[in-house]
Amino acid sequence: MSDRTQLWRMAPTELAPHEDALTRFQAELERAGGSSVSVGPGELVGEITATLAAAGAHRIALTADLGDARPVIAQALEIARYDVVDYDAIADDRAAVRDLDATVTGCLAAVAATGSIVTGATGAGRAGALVAPTHVCVVETRRLVDGLASLMRLAPRLGAGSMMALQTGPSRTADIEKTLIVGVHGPKRVHVVLLDGVLAD
Amino acid sequence: MSEDPLTSSTFAERARVQLAKPFLREAVPRATDIAVRDLRERFAGHDYDGLRELGREIRARTMADLEDALATLTDALVANGIHVHHAADAAAAREHIRRICRESDATRVVKVKSMATEEIALNPALVADGLEVTETDLGEYVVQLDGDRPSHIIAPIIHKTRAEVRETLSRVAGRELPDDASELTDFARERLRDAFMDADVGISGANFGVAETGTIVLVTNEGNGRMCTSMPRIHIALMGIERVIPTLEDLSVMLPLITGAGTGQLITSYVSMLSGPRGEGEPDGPEAMHVVLLDNGRRALLGTEYQEVLHCIRCGACQNVCPVYRQVGGHAYGWVYGGPIGAVLTPLFLGTEAGGELPQASSLCGACDDICPVKIPLHDLLLQLRRTRVDDGAAPWRERLAAELWAWAWSSPRRYRVVTRIGGGVVRVMAAAGLMSSLGPLGRWARGRTIPTPARRPFHSRGERDV
Repeated sequence: MSDRTQLWRMAPTELAPHEDALTRFQAELERAGGSSVSVGPGELVGEITATLAAAGAHRIALTADLGDARPVIAQALEIARYDVVDYDAIADDRAAVRDLDATVTGCLAAVAATGSIVTGATGAGRAGALVAPTHVCVVETRRLVDGLASLMRLAPRLGAGSMMALQTGPSRTADIEKTLIVGVHGPKRVHVVLLDGVLAD
Repeated sequence: MSEDPLTSSTFAERARVQLAKPFLREAVPRATDIAVRDLRERFAGHDYDGLRELGREIRARTMADLEDALATLTDALVANGIHVHHAADAAAAREHIRRICRESDATRVVKVKSMATEEIALNPALVADGLEVTETDLGEYVVQLDGDRPSHIIAPIIHKTRAEVRETLSRVAGRELPDDASELTDFARERLRDAFMDADVGISGANFGVAETGTIVLVTNEGNGRMCTSMPRIHIALMGIERVIPTLEDLSVMLPLITGAGTGQLITSYVSMLSGPRGEGEPDGPEAMHVVLLDNGRRALLGTEYQEVLHCIRCGACQNVCPVYRQVGGHAYGWVYGGPIGAVLTPLFLGTEAGGELPQASSLCGACDDICPVKIPLHDLLLQLRRTRVDDGAAPWRERLAAELWAWAWSSPRRYRVVTRIGGGVVRVMAAAGLMSSLGPLGRWARGRTIPTPARRPFHSRGERDV
């Protein structure tokens, strides 16, 4: 008989005892084709701006799960001459959604063992983290959970709304002769900013 | 696709067509080897067998009282504001989906790759109703444009070369596209983006339905599953009734199993957990969500010796390791499911009349049993289907006569000795003269194989002399 308390011995989607969550998260995300960096509260806006500049993005949507930090980030991006909108304000406008170069979102949780971020319909929306070629996700380090089992235990209390989604690195396909191509229907670039602090001004 | 290949041709005929394609015989083993290699790599240092056992337990426990699990699921879906429809067969499922499209004044439909929708032949029915249907998984999109069929559960165009994909997409583009997988993908992305934005209805399958929370789970890499369930105003999920799992906790076992066995990934790029239509205060999502629960022959398997085939989570791993599938590809099986799982499901779903010979298309090596993430004893099920076919008198008379003679000859030591002596002598002479292929049915069997020349003295008679 198998014992579920020993799930980490069986499933690579769990963290081993004493394994460092942050280190594992960053390694798995990189393996999946994404990138990440750890910052303090004072460096957050600078890191987001730099990432968007490097991606050549101009039209940016910010989602509601950035919380109190959203207006602060919006203001900084506007000063840097980006075209910034709230995702919830334009979500019903298909043309506007299509024109987005990048979205910046928060998240409900992040899974260390798999390098996944978790967003909900209430915050980032169903497609807020998906529609633009570049996705920047702010993850407060306190939101890291060990593995899938911890996430599933927590899920009913996350307030995700009608959809909870895990996403791990960029969108990918290997349909054509098994050649790995990044960026099909979802983003080509996924950058996670790990914030050692909380999203507030 | 007006002619059904399953009834209009035999497995051998279809296999011969596929074997004549050099690309197929190179590409399928190459692609499937990558999936198996990645699976082993991701599970290195972990107890894959232990996790498989957990998966098997979850599936067995659910199937032991499937109706109870389905009742819990239905209640939870309804509580989440989801419309639930029950479909006894393919026609009923098509009818539900057509009606929902009609009642919502839909003109455009986008689809997520789904074996269940293939199983009920949904697309032709929707097209006949005047709907514009677009498959949005890159591989399925190409399959649709070509009027082809997917040939692998996870990798639908495993049988197509890049040059063929380029040709197809260039036709749509109206210009020569570059011979580059990345640029071909970019072209498809832009085309399909239009389809997502304009669609009224998104249709998906369901990898799992979580009973306790009323959640439909979709596992994809491209992100099309998420687009199809975000942009259109209606979402319809077609779910085989056996895809129910009891709890979210069970999902933390089933997810690594399906992604590991399917693609060798720790987790796919996207996992969507859908628990209703767009909620109050949510920025996007469909106004209405429907779940169509598909029986289509599944309930009839409960309580039979084939119940365990309902544990299947459609990961495609058994296809990846099957020595027959790896040579002939998915199309040789004649219906939507290929490989070992197809050889079991097809006769069970369609009857032995149409798919009865498929269980013969197996070497019974058991590789499928060893990799199956929920430990379905596929090769036992294949044997049982063969047995049933013989008991039903459906096997060809020559095959039955040969088996009878065989049993008669080998059931007495004396007859056995005589037969092996004579038979061995005949084969030795024929092989030396290069005449094996003129041995009738035996010759056909010998054509694809190297037949070892029997020893001059059989082993048992050598033993006798030495004693």
